Amino acid sequence: MKRKLTVMALVFAMLLAPVLSACNNGGGGKESGSKSNSAGKDGKQEITEFTAFLAVPGSEVNDDNEVKQIIAEKTGYKIKETWLTGQTETEAIGTMIAGDEYPDIIDGGVATKNLYEAGALVPLDDYIEKYPNIKNFLNEEQWDSLRQDDGKIYWIQQFGNIKGEDKTTTQTMGAFWIQARVLEWADYPEIVTLDQYFQLLEDYNKANPTMEDGTKNIPYTILCEGTKFFCLTGAPLELAGYPNEGSVYVDEETLKAVDYNTTDMTKRYYKKLNDGYKSGLVDPESFTQTYDEYIAKLSSGRVLGMHDQGWNFSNSVNAALTQAGLDKQGCDYIPIGLVFDEDIHNRWFTRQYTINTASGIGITKDCKDPDGVMKFMNDLLDQEIHDLRFWGVKGVDYDVNEKGEYFRTKEQRFESTNTSYRATHLCPYSWMPQYEGTSDDGINANKPSDQPGEFYDGLNDDIKRAFDAYGAKTYIDLLGVNEPAGPWYPLWTYSNAITTSTPGGIAFTKMDEVFHEYMPKVCIADDFEAMWDEFLKTYEECNPQDFLDEIQAILDKRIEDHKQYEN
Amino acid sequence: MAIAKAEKPLPKKKKITAKTLKSQRALLIAAAIFVIYGIVFYYVPLVGWLMAFQDYSPRLGFLGSEFIGIDKFKFLFSDKTFLRVIRNTLAMGVLNLVTSTFMAILFAILLNEVRNTRAKKVVQTVSYLPHFLSWIIVTGILHDVLASGGIVNELLLKFGWVDKPVNFFAKPEWFWGLVAFSNVWKETGWNAIIYLAAITSIDPSLYEAAAIDGAGRWQRIKNVTLPGIRPTIMILLLLSIGNVLNAGFEVQYLLGNGLVQSVSQTIDIYVLRWGISQNDYSLGTAAGLFKSFVSIVLIVIVNQLARHYGEERLY
Repeated sequence: MKRKLTVMALVFAMLLAPVLSACNNGGGGKESGSKSNSAGKDGKQEITEFTAFLAVPGSEVNDDNEVKQIIAEKTGYKIKETWLTGQTETEAIGTMIAGDEYPDIIDGGVATKNLYEAGALVPLDDYIEKYPNIKNFLNEEQWDSLRQDDGKIYWIQQFGNIKGEDKTTTQTMGAFWIQARVLEWADYPEIVTLDQYFQLLEDYNKANPTMEDGTKNIPYTILCEGTKFFCLTGAPLELAGYPNEGSVYVDEETLKAVDYNTTDMTKRYYKKLNDGYKSGLVDPESFTQTYDEYIAKLSSGRVLGMHDQGWNFSNSVNAALTQAGLDKQGCDYIPIGLVFDEDIHNRWFTRQYTINTASGIGITKDCKDPDGVMKFMNDLLDQEIHDLRFWGVKGVDYDVNEKGEYFRTKEQRFESTNTSYRATHLCPYSWMPQYEGTSDDGINANKPSDQPGEFYDGLNDDIKRAFDAYGAKTYIDLLGVNEPAGPWYPLWTYSNAITTSTPGGIAFTKMDEVFHEYMPKVCIADDFEAMWDEFLKTYEECNPQDFLDEIQAILDKRIEDHKQYEN
Repeated sequence: MAIAKAEKPLPKKKKITAKTLKSQRALLIAAAIFVIYGIVFYYVPLVGWLMAFQDYSPRLGFLGSEFIGIDKFKFLFSDKTFLRVIRNTLAMGVLNLVTSTFMAILFAILLNEVRNTRAKKVVQTVSYLPHFLSWIIVTGILHDVLASGGIVNELLLKFGWVDKPVNFFAKPEWFWGLVAFSNVWKETGWNAIIYLAAITSIDPSLYEAAAIDGAGRWQRIKNVTLPGIRPTIMILLLLSIGNVLNAGFEVQYLLGNGLVQSVSQTIDIYVLRWGISQNDYSLGTAAGLFKSFVSIVLIVIVNQLARHYGEERLY
């Protein structure tokens, strides 16, 4: 009997073990800011590691990453970053809220406001006052624009902050992109309109249907997956000469938000895609491919052109093309500021003085040491650390000439595009607060890609030839620089934060569903006109006016708020 | 079998004495642990259903949120998308149920007829391996195989059956079929195991008797094997009826795209999009509650039917 009991007890212990250990894990996961004596050998310094979740796709760096370790030794902190995979940001954040467990640091993307509404974030006001680098990171108006309805600041927008002279060289915003080989083949023609662009793609593809190794070219592809839908729907706005405001444009005279999705200009754009689809110019997989498949396609060099935001593809794709030596074939992408008609002025690159208030880096209530996080962020903005993040280690990743200018050799540049080197050595903490523009030394750019000499020398030859042909020194020169029309720009930074708790938000979500279904349908429809009419009808059923009213209110408030900072 | 109507008086209940309790102590403890487990993990969470009647806010929590009655349900049933989502879920659930049951039985019988034990074992092992792959891998394979440069399109082009690659994922009318196909591909081998087990328990003398009476292979399958596994089929069908509304989440989520979303979205995806993504947990709970309710109703109905026709049943 005794023995039987013991056996039984053992069986239960085994049955229960997974359950119990699961509970333990749950508890363990909550441990945050765990101190570990990871300085190890010399044991001098305690290094605190924070966890961070960033609701964007990104590449994880290794735990023993060298620059990460250097920064940790200098500051006493490091961050374990986790990125979004396979979900949308709202899904990932929504799940996190439902589970009520958070990492120490979080950027919820468009769902950041949801985190605030769920009470998951801690107010940062006191810490901001305490740390000068953070305090100076944004100006009064920008800080105020981040205040929530209780008057407190819960997140810091980490991007778009230009220190000193603006040295922007790359187009991180939207554009129609085209491979350098296409331009070279046509002897660098002046391309202004959408029609010319598609004509060029067609001509080139007729003359060169394959790449050097025999792979078939794809003249034009579109990414439509989930939240990356803007690759399809964003273009008509800018083709018509408006800067990118998101789902609406602002009539600059009446200051009214206008829905462009049903206008003739939008129809004209889709008609073009529909024609392209029928003639085989538009990749038939456009409407079904996933983000990963899209990036893989671009990285293979097969795709001649697409419309996309620079930030959405260029980092990974440019590096992959360079590593595969496809720049020799001219597969690098050049942005073009297309418009519908030649008399329209393109505003693809419009300077942005307001920050994206809808998202940013916040600290969660699960964080044991918010002060430590803020101290670390303060340190990350320190010029020395900032250089480590974006330039790397002096003498290893870059050198300095007698004038104090940073530069990289060919090998160093090549290494910086190597995925495994990036994982083991470089650690930009790319989603933590950072500066663009000029370094404190007044000579160098805060990021290598913005360093004028370095930037140009670092370009692949196919891009250099194109730049020379068009008399450009930077990507931006190709597009031209525009000033924003008003203090609301870009309006999407406000509209992105709308949720279904309001009628406008419900309308917006429904509109979004209709877009996801009908825009692809319109593109592949045999009878374009009929499908367009069906789209209009279905779209009307979503009550888009509710959404517009809400946007209008936001626009009015934004203009009103700005008045107090004028002059 | 004619079972006498159960009008007979039940055997007298044995009195539970302290002695029996003591002698069965171990068993009681064992049972209690599972009862507690059931209560903690199945019944306590049901309290969360109350969220469906609240305007739940994670900040105020479960106790602080305001009760709003059945507003969320009203929203659900006035939402065209939700009605479409119910249709999709039911359609795919039924389609999956029918195809997977049919294929599993077919496969089990075919496998049973294989005389070479070795070949049989190999086939069985190979066929149930896909069950252990996660959906993300299976859909990845499907995406590759059915891509415009994938093997299927290459073959179609080579044989000249099509003149340009077919985009299998862009056709709403094919989507349900695609889901059913991937389900069959993944689960047939696994589902067949239980039928195979049922077949092996059939008395071999029945086969012998049938053979002596001159029954061929086909007739033995029809008259011995199929009736022999009929109770198993009924029980498994009953169990899966309750799962019809769990038509799936991963496969539709991963294979779906804008073009086919009107047929691809299931209730689970709806909950994710409108509940979790939009911070409207009450709406998500309401949709989930509705799903559970329908499942229970389905089980009760089918069980009653089974009882009526004298088949195996759950209770």
